[in-house]
Amino acid sequence: MNSTDRRTDRAPARSMWRRAAAAFAVVLAAAPLSGRVAEAQVTIPTARQSQPVALRGATIHTITKGTIANGTIVLDNGRIIAVGGADVVVPRGAKVVDVTGKHIYPGLIDAYSTVGITEIGSVDVSNDITELGDFNPNVRAEVAVNAESRHIGTSRSAGVLVAFSTPDGGVISGLSSAMSLEGWTWEEMSMKGAAALNVNWPDPAGRPRRFGGPPPGGPGAARGPAPKTYAEQVQALKDFFAEARAYRDAQAAGQVVRTDVRYASMIPALNKTIPVVVAANTVSQINDAMTWAKAEGVRLVIRGGRDAIHVADRLKAENVPVILTSTMDAPQRNYEGYDGGYNAPAQLYAAGVRFAIAGGSGGLYTYRLPWEAGVAVAFGLPEEEALKAVTINAAEFMGIADQVGSLEVGKQATLLITSGTPLNMTSDVIQAYIQGREIDMNDMQKQFFKKYLEKIRQQQGRIAM
Amino acid sequence: MRASRTIPALALWLAGALGAQQASRLEPVTGLRDNGTGYHALVGARVVTAPGQAIDSATVVIRNGVITAVGRNLAAPAGARVWDLKGLTVYPGFIDAHADLGMDAVPQGGDVGPTHWNPQVRAWFSTTSNLKDDSTRRVALRSLGFGAALAVPHQGIFRGTASVVNLSDAGVRERVLRADLVQTIGFQRSFLLGGMYPNSTMGTTALMRQTLMDAEWYIRANAAYEASGRAVLPPERSEALGALASAVQGKQAVLFQTESEEEYLRAHRLATEYKLVPWFRGNGTEYRLIDVLKGRTQPLIVPLNFPDAPDVSSPELALNASLATMRHWYQAPTNPAQLATAGVPFALTTDGLSTLTQFLPNLRLAVSRGLAADKALAALTTIPAGWLGIDRTHGTIAVGKVANLVVTDGDLFTQDASVRDVWVQGTRYGVTRPPQIDPRGTWTITSTDADGFNATLRLEGPINRIRGTIERAGRRELPLAGVRVIAETGRLEVTFNGEPLGYEGTVLMSGAVSGDEVYGWTSLPNGTDPTFKGTRTEAYEGPARGTVAQRVPVIDLPFIRPMIEFGRASVPEQPSLLLVRNATVWTQGPQGRLENADLLVRAGKVAQVGRNLTAPRGAVIVDATGKHVTPGLIDPHTHTGVSSVNESGFAIVPEVRMGDALMHNDIWMYRQLAGGLTMQMVKHGSANPIGGENVFVKNRWGMLPDEYRLENAPRTVKFALGENPKRSPNRYPNTRMGVQEIIRDHFNAARDYRREWQRWEREKTGIPPRRDLRMEALLDILDQKLLVSSHGYRADEFLALVRLAEEFGFRIQTLQHGVEAYKIATELKNSGVAAVVWSDWGAFKLESYDATSYNARLLMEAGVVTSLHSDNAEISTRMNWEAGKLLRSGVDEIQALSTVTNQAARAIAIQDRVGSLEAGKDADFVIWNGNPLSQFTRAEQTWVDGRRYFSLEEDARTREEIARQRAQLIQAILAAAPASGTGATATPARP
Repeated sequence: MNSTDRRTDRAPARSMWRRAAAAFAVVLAAAPLSGRVAEAQVTIPTARQSQPVALRGATIHTITKGTIANGTIVLDNGRIIAVGGADVVVPRGAKVVDVTGKHIYPGLIDAYSTVGITEIGSVDVSNDITELGDFNPNVRAEVAVNAESRHIGTSRSAGVLVAFSTPDGGVISGLSSAMSLEGWTWEEMSMKGAAALNVNWPDPAGRPRRFGGPPPGGPGAARGPAPKTYAEQVQALKDFFAEARAYRDAQAAGQVVRTDVRYASMIPALNKTIPVVVAANTVSQINDAMTWAKAEGVRLVIRGGRDAIHVADRLKAENVPVILTSTMDAPQRNYEGYDGGYNAPAQLYAAGVRFAIAGGSGGLYTYRLPWEAGVAVAFGLPEEEALKAVTINAAEFMGIADQVGSLEVGKQATLLITSGTPLNMTSDVIQAYIQGREIDMNDMQKQFFKKYLEKIRQQQGRIAM
Repeated sequence: MRASRTIPALALWLAGALGAQQASRLEPVTGLRDNGTGYHALVGARVVTAPGQAIDSATVVIRNGVITAVGRNLAAPAGARVWDLKGLTVYPGFIDAHADLGMDAVPQGGDVGPTHWNPQVRAWFSTTSNLKDDSTRRVALRSLGFGAALAVPHQGIFRGTASVVNLSDAGVRERVLRADLVQTIGFQRSFLLGGMYPNSTMGTTALMRQTLMDAEWYIRANAAYEASGRAVLPPERSEALGALASAVQGKQAVLFQTESEEEYLRAHRLATEYKLVPWFRGNGTEYRLIDVLKGRTQPLIVPLNFPDAPDVSSPELALNASLATMRHWYQAPTNPAQLATAGVPFALTTDGLSTLTQFLPNLRLAVSRGLAADKALAALTTIPAGWLGIDRTHGTIAVGKVANLVVTDGDLFTQDASVRDVWVQGTRYGVTRPPQIDPRGTWTITSTDADGFNATLRLEGPINRIRGTIERAGRRELPLAGVRVIAETGRLEVTFNGEPLGYEGTVLMSGAVSGDEVYGWTSLPNGTDPTFKGTRTEAYEGPARGTVAQRVPVIDLPFIRPMIEFGRASVPEQPSLLLVRNATVWTQGPQGRLENADLLVRAGKVAQVGRNLTAPRGAVIVDATGKHVTPGLIDPHTHTGVSSVNESGFAIVPEVRMGDALMHNDIWMYRQLAGGLTMQMVKHGSANPIGGENVFVKNRWGMLPDEYRLENAPRTVKFALGENPKRSPNRYPNTRMGVQEIIRDHFNAARDYRREWQRWEREKTGIPPRRDLRMEALLDILDQKLLVSSHGYRADEFLALVRLAEEFGFRIQTLQHGVEAYKIATELKNSGVAAVVWSDWGAFKLESYDATSYNARLLMEAGVVTSLHSDNAEISTRMNWEAGKLLRSGVDEIQALSTVTNQAARAIAIQDRVGSLEAGKDADFVIWNGNPLSQFTRAEQTWVDGRRYFSLEEDARTREEIARQRAQLIQAILAAAPASGTGATATPARP
């Protein structure tokens, strides 16, 4: 099955494309049902782009360079080679697709996900999120991403085309990997394997946590009882960074004899080539993480940020970005408004804090990312800011803005064709391109739909009315 | 006046009658008899004879434990031991109407004998039979002024009988005043007693109902046994059921020990349902139900359990302090005062205090916060005496009453006074020793010895913490390092650092005080010990004993219900006529969606929907131009606002009712209103193949639990299939196969039960069968009076239940969750089952892995009545967006909204009341600022029964009010916190 076949399936001739799925059902109802239904039960990665593609007639939302009505965007060799109006020259030999009346957006980016490393929530063996121990800066999500996960398809159907699969647990959880959600293997999907170092800031109000053991130390590192109190936990984190820095310097001086996989993995974060993403929600966590990061001289990104509005002035002054994960969370304090999560982005925007929005519900529901941002619009955030929060801002904070996050020449051709804003369920994601490939929009949920619609058709005569 | 100076003959007679208890003593005396006179005259005190009545310089005469005379300036009779109580105050002995006297021991290995199948049912337990010395608790209580108490049992749900005892040191036989006076019941089971069932609020209530019914049956069953001439075998023996006979016949009161507002309301409802004579041990939150309590006169015994303040000593801690907690901190001490103001009779108890030493301080706190001292005294004397049936002998100081007295050195209710003595039935028990010498004042010390020195000694401060100075002529005044008074021997000891006086070390002085003279000797660092004598030249005039005053600022905290954040000052008005104008109205009925339409509401019901309706005279007009109006959203599956969700003690529990577990103070209801939800079915959990009966709740935020219920609602019962009911490893079933079999077996049992009753009705022979609420509920299911609402994920398990329903003839109303419902959509359609599903939840457990967001779409394709649900408080606040998600599966807008309005109502058979905006239906509606299915839309107003329960404007005002109250309360806590160098939180603030 190639892309042309699929387009025929969608009956473009009669399509109002009003509702992709509705149209799909119409096709099934009209077409003779044969082996093609069974064929539809698999989702197949598309081959690398081999022919230039020009998408013409849509409203193009570049995010960084304004909105172009009746625009043209040309994709070649996986990259965007031209963006503009109707006058953009289409290269010879390009496949021209008329998308008049539709909208084109960059693929959405989930800055915090577990897609590919979790499959079924309560089935432990299907989860590869939390490694044993408190300091795991070396574990890298990409190597555990299951390219066959059902959740990849559903994410793409909602327009989420890039996701940062992220380990969790302990104090230093590991390295997030930027995954492009198309490919036969994780290797093909991976855009950046070591994209960000993740730290879980200790909870000052929490009960003393059960530590996995004393922090590992090189020669000279303190080995004592496991840290219990908040202060001890923060000190353990500081010690680990200090030891890692010593390791880096020793290595630079040619003094490292035996490799330490943990400290070696810290070097990009210490050298500020990748950000340190610190999970922090309460006022004291955010404040203390900022104080710490300043002293460490690392590139801090706050993730969580439930109380960020209470620290907004400082976040702005110190230019620390926030990845909000709680826009759809209930208020944490009963006196807070029912919309405390919903309106946090609007408040941060008004306060001048830079932020992205990430799905708060984990890998199973990465496809809900657009709504996590959309809700902020209902509660006062300008729609274009909500879009930035799931595209360019996420890309910038996480260090992949040179590749994705906006529709600009030279960036990857990772984009969406929609009937309207992807942030609202009132519009549909019709087709996505990932690195120039026109991807198969099928997913497991749609496959069940197709299969069991057939059951209803077969048994319709037997339905008692 | 003269008459009162002689002891009336009647009093002597009474004394003799009461004294007869001693004459008829059963136990022979070993050794010598103790024949003290028992004749006392307490002279000179201010005697508070009863609440509001006091006699200054009074005399109280006691003979053989009984008061034989009370009067002003009565001469002590010859032969009486005279107690000079000048300057002291005497109150009637206190009565603790709910005392913990060590009745909580559970025998090793549990109770034995034919008690009851359920170890929590201990109605047979008698505090009289189990009375023990328990001197520690008894003396501690007595030292607070208590002479008598109701000793209550503590273990189980049916806890046994409470008895009135005196708190003297006599043996237990002489202490019982009223044996086994009342039965006691509590809602919190005892873990010491074991047993799996019940483990929830509704299971506990169900057990209470069944047990009360069983007790009534037990009387009849035994009567039938006797009537048969014992020609049949007797009914199963139960000491517990036997012990409840008087209570269920209304001949014995039942004391409910309640731990929350809701428990009080539940207990009251149960008592009414079973015609019990209820007493209540309250819990300190009565002020939140003051309107309900007003006019009620059943015995109410309230604790003085005032909470410590939350820690607000840092900005971040203050940020987390909840309004509800701080309000309770501030208001709890006003609880007794509010009851008194409302005219609700109440007694006070020490129960609920973490330590008994809090009793007097908290009592004074209650008085300082508005409780009149005489009301406080009444709550400790006359009121409990009346309820406990000992008012002829206890409660006041009057001729003929037993001599239970409290002697204090000040006003016990308003001053920091101490209890000196407590008299119980004519015996005096010393509590704090009176100061037999008081050395305070200014003394001139002269040494009679050449080595000694002359000085001025000043002693001051509280009698038990005397401090002072010493000043040697011409030198500066030095503080004393220590002062010690040994009252019994009249000894005074002081020490001070002698270096400023020229001695190299500490000086010790020890003297014998006699009136204003002291004589003693000194131990100097140089080894000499010169003698001295001294004369008091000036008496100590310390400040009067401090009156305990209110220590917190006055804060305006209006009554709200519930008494938490966003509680309401009153139920919103219901306009008799209301016109919502010019909106896009989604009627979700035959009129469809109308642009520029009006909605007319009359007295809480929809009157008309249409264009250009004429506003009736007097109608309240709401302009909704540019807005959308929809029916109030409905969620057929939540667990909001209940104190328990699962009764997992048995696999089959249809007798339990979620309505019994309703609470009115779950803030989620307010948040649901903010998201347009007006109606929900609150469901039992999924731990059981057959769970409990669900309850239909209307979001009438600000009312009481029972007022939340949808009137005349259908009855539905929870079933559960799959992973949840089979995962208790020690409880059958452990497989999906077993789930089906245990359901089958119970329906067979119900049929057998019915046959047994039918036989009895026909023949009326033998022991009458007992009513079994579980079996009756199962029969209601079989008779389709109780409709099945089944939790299930997989197609296979649910298909099996559908076939079982066909076999037994019960009706499955809804499949809930139904993650795989789409796989059996045609089967559901054919069996008339509605589907209540999620928009897109799945993959969180194995049986939900085949979830698809096309589920609802496929069900609709097959013609199944399809509704969405949340099963989650947070999701239930945004059901419009859940419905909006369906748009992407190809469902049209009206259909999508129907899954949270009209089809949701239809699925759970309440479509005649709610779900659409049609004439005659409840005026439950939402005004949105745009298309309700859009992620960019929010609710602006939510109306229930034609009352506006939520609006953005009111919400904003409420937030400001919450902010004001929080700020003032935080300041009050900081102000009340004792100043201390070790951090303001070292000692919690007292309000």
